[in-house]
Amino acid sequence: MSILVSKLRQSTAAAVLALTTAAFAGDALAKDLTITVWAGGSNDSDVYRLDAIEMAADILSREYAIRGEELNISVEKKRDFAGWDEFRQAVTLAAEAGSAPNIVVTSHLDIAPWSQSGLIVPVEDYVDMDTWPINNIYENLLDITTYNGVVYGLPQDAESRPFFFWRDTMKKIGYTDEEIDALPAKVEAGEYTLQNVLEDAKKAVDMEIVEEGYGFYPRVSNGPDYAQFYQSFGGELMDKETGKLVLDKQAMTDFYQFFVDAVEAKVTRKNHIGTEWDQWYAEVASGKAALWHGGTWHYARYTGKEGLDDFFGNIQFTLIPAGNENGQANTITHPLAYLLTKQDNEDDIEIAAQLIKIASEPRINTLHAIKSAHLGIAREQSNIELYANDRWAAEATRRLLPYANSQPNNPNYGKFSEIMFKGLETAWTGTKSPADAVAEVEAEMTAVLGDDLIVR
Amino acid sequence: MKRAHLLGLGFMTPALFIIVFLFLAPVVLTMMFSFTNMSSGTGISSGGAYEVTERTIRLLKDQGFPETTADRLAEDTYKIDVAGLAAVQADFGKAFAQEIEAELSGKTFAGRRDLERELKRLKERPRSTRDLKKAADLFKRSILNTRFETEQAFLASVDELDLGLGKTETAELTRTAYTGWVWTTENYSLIASLPSTLRAAGNTLIYVSFTLAFSIGFGLFLAVTTFYLPSGVATTFRTIWFLPRILPPVIYVMMWKWMAWDTGFLSSFLAHFGVPPRNWMLHSDINAWVVVVLINGFVGASLGMILFSSAIKAIPETMLHASEVDGANRLQQIRYIIMPQLRWPILFTTAYQTLSLLTSFDYIYLSTDGGPGKATEVWALYTFHTALNNYGGVLQYGLGAALAMVLVVIGIAAALIYLRLFNFDDLVAKPRIEQ
Amino acid sequence: MRPNFRIWPILVLLSILSLPLVLMYFYLVVDTVTDTTAGSLLPDRFTLEHWKFLFEKPESGRASIWPVTANTFLFASATSLIVVMVSLTAGYALSRLNMPFRKFFLGGILTLHAFPTVTLIIAIFLMLQMSGLYNTLIGVILVKTALELPLGIWIMKGFYDTVPWEIEMAGITDGASRFTVWWKLVLPQVQPGIAALALFSFLEAWKEFILPQVLAPSGASQVLATYLQNTIMDDRKPDFNLFKSIGLFYALPVILIYVVFNRKLMNIYGGGTKG
Repeated sequence: MSILVSKLRQSTAAAVLALTTAAFAGDALAKDLTITVWAGGSNDSDVYRLDAIEMAADILSREYAIRGEELNISVEKKRDFAGWDEFRQAVTLAAEAGSAPNIVVTSHLDIAPWSQSGLIVPVEDYVDMDTWPINNIYENLLDITTYNGVVYGLPQDAESRPFFFWRDTMKKIGYTDEEIDALPAKVEAGEYTLQNVLEDAKKAVDMEIVEEGYGFYPRVSNGPDYAQFYQSFGGELMDKETGKLVLDKQAMTDFYQFFVDAVEAKVTRKNHIGTEWDQWYAEVASGKAALWHGGTWHYARYTGKEGLDDFFGNIQFTLIPAGNENGQANTITHPLAYLLTKQDNEDDIEIAAQLIKIASEPRINTLHAIKSAHLGIAREQSNIELYANDRWAAEATRRLLPYANSQPNNPNYGKFSEIMFKGLETAWTGTKSPADAVAEVEAEMTAVLGDDLIVR
Repeated sequence: MKRAHLLGLGFMTPALFIIVFLFLAPVVLTMMFSFTNMSSGTGISSGGAYEVTERTIRLLKDQGFPETTADRLAEDTYKIDVAGLAAVQADFGKAFAQEIEAELSGKTFAGRRDLERELKRLKERPRSTRDLKKAADLFKRSILNTRFETEQAFLASVDELDLGLGKTETAELTRTAYTGWVWTTENYSLIASLPSTLRAAGNTLIYVSFTLAFSIGFGLFLAVTTFYLPSGVATTFRTIWFLPRILPPVIYVMMWKWMAWDTGFLSSFLAHFGVPPRNWMLHSDINAWVVVVLINGFVGASLGMILFSSAIKAIPETMLHASEVDGANRLQQIRYIIMPQLRWPILFTTAYQTLSLLTSFDYIYLSTDGGPGKATEVWALYTFHTALNNYGGVLQYGLGAALAMVLVVIGIAAALIYLRLFNFDDLVAKPRIEQ
Repeated sequence: MRPNFRIWPILVLLSILSLPLVLMYFYLVVDTVTDTTAGSLLPDRFTLEHWKFLFEKPESGRASIWPVTANTFLFASATSLIVVMVSLTAGYALSRLNMPFRKFFLGGILTLHAFPTVTLIIAIFLMLQMSGLYNTLIGVILVKTALELPLGIWIMKGFYDTVPWEIEMAGITDGASRFTVWWKLVLPQVQPGIAALALFSFLEAWKEFILPQVLAPSGASQVLATYLQNTIMDDRKPDFNLFKSIGLFYALPVILIYVVFNRKLMNIYGGGTKG
């Protein structure tokens, strides 16, 4: 009981403290504050998403000290959420309760709904966007963290989601080394399509080079990756003119059909969705699967924990191939962003804003980029040896990023993507035919999205 | 009022307080929420704000709002005028105001960033970025991307733009710019029309009936068989089957995953017989249902076993002995002596478990999470996913509350039926001490 | 036992049916101290590796196991304490005291007992938020208490019902007040009920997963259930051996309570027959 009381007292004390700091804000006396940072979808190699803020806090308090002000920032870090679902639930509810973490590291897709509800505030209201290092961040990344013409967050990392080939398997089904090396170009030109993917995967399974269900080995859970296949078949996520979401029934049906075909050809398992990530990583990094798709950050896992020494000798990577003549090869980049939440005390927001600005320093961001095999956010990173000397960062940036697009910042996109994936799952597992699944998706989207949807 | 009344009410107070605070109030609130469009986009308690953004402009144009007026609203204008200069002088001192007047007087900027760049060149500017932005904001002469907390403030600023809006147009603008939640009955019509709610209802029916049948049937089986075993052995089996009931769900489900996954025990074991490994939990709808029913059924059977066992123990030994003397075999003994004694506990367990199965989703959430597809997504889990837990991160509180209300209504109706069924009046015998 | 029945067919049948559970328990314990070669069924090396989580400094941004364990204890004991205290008075009032709305209260509590509370969680969240208890352990304790209360009151009422009226009559004839009678004479009679309810509510709170996950997500008030689940769901955490070690650590108090207080617990789990 006494611990209970002391906890109670602690929270009261914290409240009193918050009140007094608010009352004395602007006072030049020593200022102590706690900045809380929560990161979603972050595992052990992503610790610099949080640690960067801590490093920034150190630098910022030194800057303050030089100006003659004492600022003690303690950074509270948290990333142990069961998944994105739980992370978003926690952030949303905490914000609703007025105890949101000061900084969240999350998908740029959260900007639209969260800015509407006032959960987050624009970063451009607190920092000078024309100064270092923000003026060095790639403009297209900053565009992704912009919504309604307002810059809400700073990109935290960049990535892209390539298609992978296990070289050895490709050779066994008849490709020469030169042909494998030429794959990226062929994919880009639309000469190697998802139909070829099915054929090659089927060959690998039929020749018993890989087991049944391992010819084509996709992502095991919902994610931006699946929107890529929709795009491969000519689907468009957002109508540029009106900013509305687009359900292209033909593309959606073709996209579902592709996965159903893969299951029927026995190159993909019917129950693939829900496979454990651990198992999945181990399998693709050991050549158990012939073709698969993933993310640029998988490189860290393959060469790290899974012990794949020679990545480039074993794996070829390309854009996601086109599905048919309607679509083209593509890849989606899904940058995470540092966002600032609304706080009662504006001084706290300002300090948090300064922290994420310093954390975007090329040198600090490079630590994250290389440790987690993400791509950089700023031009100058290619002048930092750690980054420049990393073959993966260099090649992936060149081969993928120029073709990368992002998912639309639309408050309803979350629902759209949720319904799209559930539809895919029902078709994939054979609960419904692709056409019926799309019909259900259409009914569901029309009901839920209303005016914000264009059906084609 | 009598003293005993006071004592009684006094004794009830703590319980009543907690119940009112965490049961009744939430029910009332849930009912209210179910008639709103609350979501993580609108927020719950903060109340909405009024903001004109690019999106608002697009929506306005879609609704047939006058194009030119909409375009005026879409402007982002900063104008160095007398009013602005006066404000700067008041907030940041005369020197800065005079410098602005000298350098920039009469100029107009499209967007704050351009103005900021100009201000940054001035010598008397405030040295903090935030103050500079504040100074720039004093020249803002448009409302794009400004968040107004109240309708009055919003309308006042709209008035300043001199758009010459009529009443209906003003109303339309206000409604579209509003970011908060509004009252609506749409949730209930959505529930009636969405294919996924129908599916969830069907799933719930499957889930409750199969799990219930398994719990009762298997619970009975365990109770009866352990009754016929020597007490040491019986205790061992009862312990084995009791643990699922008290082990934390997270651990219990983890053990199932270890058993059922591709690389799990079952797959490894069956590999010796040439069965290719597969995820026995999620391979197909049937697999998932079997696992979901078993996971919940084992726990239900635990409860049933305990209840039925103690009821069987209450049967007088002499009755059993007598039947044996009469030459009854085991099945006859069970059929004619034990089962009639168990009628009441079975009825009770059925009633109790129907409701708790209807509303609980922990085990499904932790194991299949409603998958594959939406094959095992039951109503309660669907509610949870809609309102609080989905990858897209758009939490639809209003729709979730409406879904919850359906369960609330079923729960209350069922409870009332049970009260009749279980002879409620017998339970409320009058206290014998009257003071 | 009885001469004209053979035991072994039952024994064999039960053993086969229990096999999955026995295997789960067996491997839950064994896997925490051994390693198994992939694809093999039996472990082949002894190791204490999987218990390192007890002593290692947690990775940046993760909670450490000890404060989490302390939280869980605090959560479960406080819940148990409040449930018992509140049920003791309310159960007595419903069982013995004459008061207005008595029938209504009784019916209400029975109804609540069968109520879809978890689905009300958005509204419960709001109640906590308004009272400033969201994201605190106290908030989760209160909610869990509320969930357990209807059953607790009902059970305590059951225990009070079995106390002979004569005891109270005697006390009152001696001139004691109803309160004194309750405190001095009746409470000692229902001690087994108190113990059973305390243990029961402790276990129920110890198990709870969804409430802490939704209502207290911040690191400071994590409990073992969410800690374990977060570890399981992390796609870069290695293996079931670690999950099982954490799981076993988490399950130990439960097993201990079951072993020591088996009989007392059965008072509740087996006592529901009467309603």
